[in-house]
Amino acid sequence: MDLNNRNDEIIETDLLIIGGGTAGCLAAVEAKEKNPALSVTIMEKAHIDRSGCLAGGMNAINAYLNPGETAESFVKYVRFDSCGLIREDLVQSMAELFEYSVKKVEKWGLPILSDEKGNYLPRGRWNIKINGESLKPIIAKAAKQSGAKILNWVTATNLLRKGNRIHGAVGFSVRHGRMYVVKAKATLIATGGAAGIYKPNNMHDAQHKTWYSPFNNGAGYAIGIRAGAEMTSFEMRYVALRTKDAIAPTGTIALGVNAPQVNAKGEKFMQTKYAHLGGDGAPTPYRAYGPIMEIKEGRGPVYLDTRHINEKQASDLKAAFLDMYPSQVLYWTANDIDPSKEPVEVQTTEPYIVGGHCQGGYWIDVNRRTTLEGLYAAGDVAGGAPFKFVSGCWAEAVIAARDAVASMSQTPSEEIDSKTIDEEAKRIYQPLLNYRHKPAQGVLPYDMEVRLQKIMDEYAGGFSTYYEMNEESLLIARKQLAKIPGQFEYLIANDLHQLMKAHEIIDRVDVARVLVEHLLYRKETRWPSYQTRMDYPDRDDENWLKFVNSRMNPETGKIEMLTRPYEQLIAGDRYKPRG
Amino acid sequence: MPVYVNPNICNGCHGATQPPCIRMCPGDLIVKDPLVDKAYLKYPEDCWDCLPCVKSCPVEAIEFYLSYQMGFKNASLKPHIPATRDHIIWESIDSRGKKETFTIRTKVLDIEIDEKVEGSTPVDFSI
Repeated sequence: MDLNNRNDEIIETDLLIIGGGTAGCLAAVEAKEKNPALSVTIMEKAHIDRSGCLAGGMNAINAYLNPGETAESFVKYVRFDSCGLIREDLVQSMAELFEYSVKKVEKWGLPILSDEKGNYLPRGRWNIKINGESLKPIIAKAAKQSGAKILNWVTATNLLRKGNRIHGAVGFSVRHGRMYVVKAKATLIATGGAAGIYKPNNMHDAQHKTWYSPFNNGAGYAIGIRAGAEMTSFEMRYVALRTKDAIAPTGTIALGVNAPQVNAKGEKFMQTKYAHLGGDGAPTPYRAYGPIMEIKEGRGPVYLDTRHINEKQASDLKAAFLDMYPSQVLYWTANDIDPSKEPVEVQTTEPYIVGGHCQGGYWIDVNRRTTLEGLYAAGDVAGGAPFKFVSGCWAEAVIAARDAVASMSQTPSEEIDSKTIDEEAKRIYQPLLNYRHKPAQGVLPYDMEVRLQKIMDEYAGGFSTYYEMNEESLLIARKQLAKIPGQFEYLIANDLHQLMKAHEIIDRVDVARVLVEHLLYRKETRWPSYQTRMDYPDRDDENWLKFVNSRMNPETGKIEMLTRPYEQLIAGDRYKPRG
Repeated sequence: MPVYVNPNICNGCHGATQPPCIRMCPGDLIVKDPLVDKAYLKYPEDCWDCLPCVKSCPVEAIEFYLSYQMGFKNASLKPHIPATRDHIIWESIDSRGKKETFTIRTKVLDIEIDEKVEGSTPVDFSI
């Protein structure tokens, strides 16, 4: 391998979409429909047929306006669920496109459960049931048929930046190793959020039995952080309540068969202790915080009580998991558990950064433009609009694509100097060269990942410390994390898969450093469990009803913190679901 | 081990360079052993149990297990996709041998056996 004699793949395109998941594919289709003459390129780390969070399938659309609901009522609910602080403009604009997006994907072949009159079957206020095992290949097929160019197995490593404008991205192929330089007039990041920042629940050969796709490593955030994009609300981490060990979704049980949470004494603690917040319908952070406190205070384990269901319902429950999470069914059979006879044990997972459930991500405007010119963000990677789930990611993709298409002609294309490309090539391939020349002095990507996860778990509010943190522990996390980038030069990779893993950990460290700054900055506890500050245990609307944002200065590498005001657009009590 | 490619059943999709199991793994975890032309899970610790590899294998050569730390042996769960490709039959057997089957409506798209990798001539990255 000769870094000075490379044979880079140079591609010029109008719209580059980084990430061929649910948002990326929808954006490609929308852009091509709006302007078929436009060239659209998707850069995808895996193969778009089965990549990212939806590789295994999905059994519900969790954000949809069922009869009687409106975009305004949705904003009110999401505002309540996120403890009073959201970007209402973003949430409202995506809700207005739920129906458009869902109907579109149904037209492509997604089976949605409906009654004899053709009305979708609701499951709660915002959910509809689907048979979405093949959701991802169905969406990928539409993207391919739209005429977009698909670069499978090309992992993005950095954006091409000149001043405050983005001109595309660089990546490398995990199949044949070549570097890709994709020059674009507009770039949309749709890579998904970040898993693997904290120590996972399970170890050994089940370490990736996690709530979120372990292949979503936060690359989409990291490339923007390094380019100087403004990020928001990383401190609103997501801690999922899941079934014990199998880490399967609890909504399927809680909403599917109306199972309440109970502690080891059989007490319905959500209904008593959290009655003032809505009991089992309390904001999502409290539905994780409640069981954490029961376990911490000695009343665990905690269960979803399914003992009222009959055999038929238990069978239906298993069928619902088979659309999305088959290993839960195997877990029950391998442990002789019958959910109609004994309650289902639940636990909370390690924290994740994900803009689809919570709101950590790029700071964007209502058109999904980031603070860098020519750069858009949609889906899990976009901040400020929680409760997106699948359909919200589709809606954001549609909004971003429409704006990118409409403003495309005014965008000039820029040459990127070869020095920048050469430097990136050196950064990309360094771990391979290290393996060749100094393997004994090297650090394996896995070892660096474990080191990062240990620091985050112990000092920045992980599973083992009940997600709690204070100023002092966070300062230790900051100090230890600051040393890791200086160690990137020791990373070793003996093949292209390992090279991808090396860049995954580099990205995770950059995300973690920004996360810790956010956790340090917000001096209140707004989302217990997601963000439990023991030294500031209460919510403080007077000082902290605002967004905590950050920007890494690309010249100095320093992370600068700032705040942005909250704007209430929909009237009503921000702490009530229908207020 | 979460998934296991049974070498007695895997036929390597008859020399395919990118058979469905390798293409469908979102984590790039399955590779082919060129000496015997069979696929295997190279990085079991990174498996997410998402199962597209299991469902896309044309000869049902990939079996799905729970890690032993999570469940006792002999329970199994197997999907079968009929030629109509409009449903999946899941066969669940518990550790005592009790069988349960589930028919789940879906739309399973056809998958080509092989697919050429995008991009031109491979670069030599041998080290």
